[in-house]
Amino acid sequence: MRSLAYLDAMSGSMVVQAVVAGVAGIAVFFKLFWRRLTAPFRGRRAAQVEMAESDER
Amino acid sequence: MPFAVEPGSFRDPAGSVFYLDGRVLRGFDPTGWADFEALAATRFWQRATERGELVKTTAVELATLPEATTKLTGIAGVVEHERIPVVSYPFEWTFSMLRAAALCHLDLLLAGLAEGFTMKDGYAYNLQFRGARPVFIDVGSFTRVQPGEPWAGYRQFCQTMLYPLLLQAHRGVRFQPFLRGAVQGITPQDARGLLRGAGRRAGRRAGVLKHVVLHQAIDARMSGARASDTRKELAAAGFSAELQAATVKAIRKLVAKLSWSEAGKPSTWSDYQRTSTYTDAERERKEAFVERSLAAAAPLGICADLGGNDGTYARIAQRHASYVVTADADAVTVDRLWQRLAAEGNERILPLVVDLTDPSPGLGWRGTERGPLFERLRPDAVLALALVHHLAISGNVPLPALVDWWHGLGGRLVVEFVDPKDPMADRLLANKPAGMHGDYRREVFERLLEQRFEVLDREELPSGTRMLYHAVPR
Repeated sequence: MRSLAYLDAMSGSMVVQAVVAGVAGIAVFFKLFWRRLTAPFRGRRAAQVEMAESDER
Repeated sequence: MPFAVEPGSFRDPAGSVFYLDGRVLRGFDPTGWADFEALAATRFWQRATERGELVKTTAVELATLPEATTKLTGIAGVVEHERIPVVSYPFEWTFSMLRAAALCHLDLLLAGLAEGFTMKDGYAYNLQFRGARPVFIDVGSFTRVQPGEPWAGYRQFCQTMLYPLLLQAHRGVRFQPFLRGAVQGITPQDARGLLRGAGRRAGRRAGVLKHVVLHQAIDARMSGARASDTRKELAAAGFSAELQAATVKAIRKLVAKLSWSEAGKPSTWSDYQRTSTYTDAERERKEAFVERSLAAAAPLGICADLGGNDGTYARIAQRHASYVVTADADAVTVDRLWQRLAAEGNERILPLVVDLTDPSPGLGWRGTERGPLFERLRPDAVLALALVHHLAISGNVPLPALVDWWHGLGGRLVVEFVDPKDPMADRLLANKPAGMHGDYRREVFERLLEQRFEVLDREELPSGTRMLYHAVPR
């Protein structure tokens, strides 16, 4: 389903919320940056599969 | 058929507010209408409406509306809202009022999240006050939560509610000029500059590290990222609706513990009723004059108590008017008055912080998105007690301009003139060069007043230095 947000939530403002959420959120925060760091090594195919997966949500 | 589109309601394409014959209506497009129908079926919606936290809203049959209104941008459904007697804006609220509004916003979001709804925004302008009670008015803000998405309104909440509160709580800096300066509030960049160092002092750091320092740092680092990609990345990393609720709960906990230390200290005007030069007999005579003037005109619609101080006369006015707005420049006094009214559950006296020599102008897009104070406040009666000498002597406002201003407000007037010989006026005159306010005399004031108003009643207080007038515009 498409997002109905009319505001630009701004990437930084979305990501920092993970830290605000506490321990479970901080894990998400580090996972996000870890995935960003390792993305170039995981190869194109993996990244495409991942994007397709999240699109289906 | 008086029909007008609300100039402040255009940012969200899913719905917008318009007025028809004095009714407040909101039209939704098909997506907005689907959200509304789902929302109206929830338990939290019913509960919050009953408690008065959410503006009363009822669906309207499209067939009952004139065609011109339903043609607006493909409307799929229309609702009618309860009218808020006088619209006020966050830069006219005190610290405690903004905090109460923020808590109301967060509580509704939490209640919504528990039933699968989030909010598209986090705007201080989503709230109004009905007397001393905050009420959430932007029903179009609710939308169904998407898995993996954080709160889209978090940044806006920071800019228009959290940062202003942090600034005043941690720095003692009044937030009102900042909110009035920009309808989108204080940016993370500016908040970081304003709160620099506030994180280092023990006990003064609540919220600064995460919401200001880290927020700004990540924001700067990710300035080139696309929001749609970031949403997908967050979802892939495991961000969930539960985490969104945890975020909002953490923000709520932070906001609830913020306090403004000045609120407990005496200010210029906080002890006015106790320390003023009135004797008891004089105060009783003045109260009786105000009472009988307003009673003669009752029932009144809206009464504006200008320079209302601790609300003594607003409470008298409340007996004869359906709604009272009390405006005063002293934020400490207004904050305390709000706290008392809020504790009583008062929904008929709205206290605002206003410098009457510099009232709120029109702001936002084309200067009409947020209207000027005296367009939103059109009183049927005006109280101007112990006010003229401040505006005329300290503020240098010429007496003819003052009388003209009251005349323009359109309502009846109960005004006090404090003679130059009175100790309070004398104290103000002593700050100015001798002879500068030579026209500040009772005869001059009376002549000007009688030119624009018909004076129905007048009384000299026992001191002989204070006059009261009850007048209606000519």
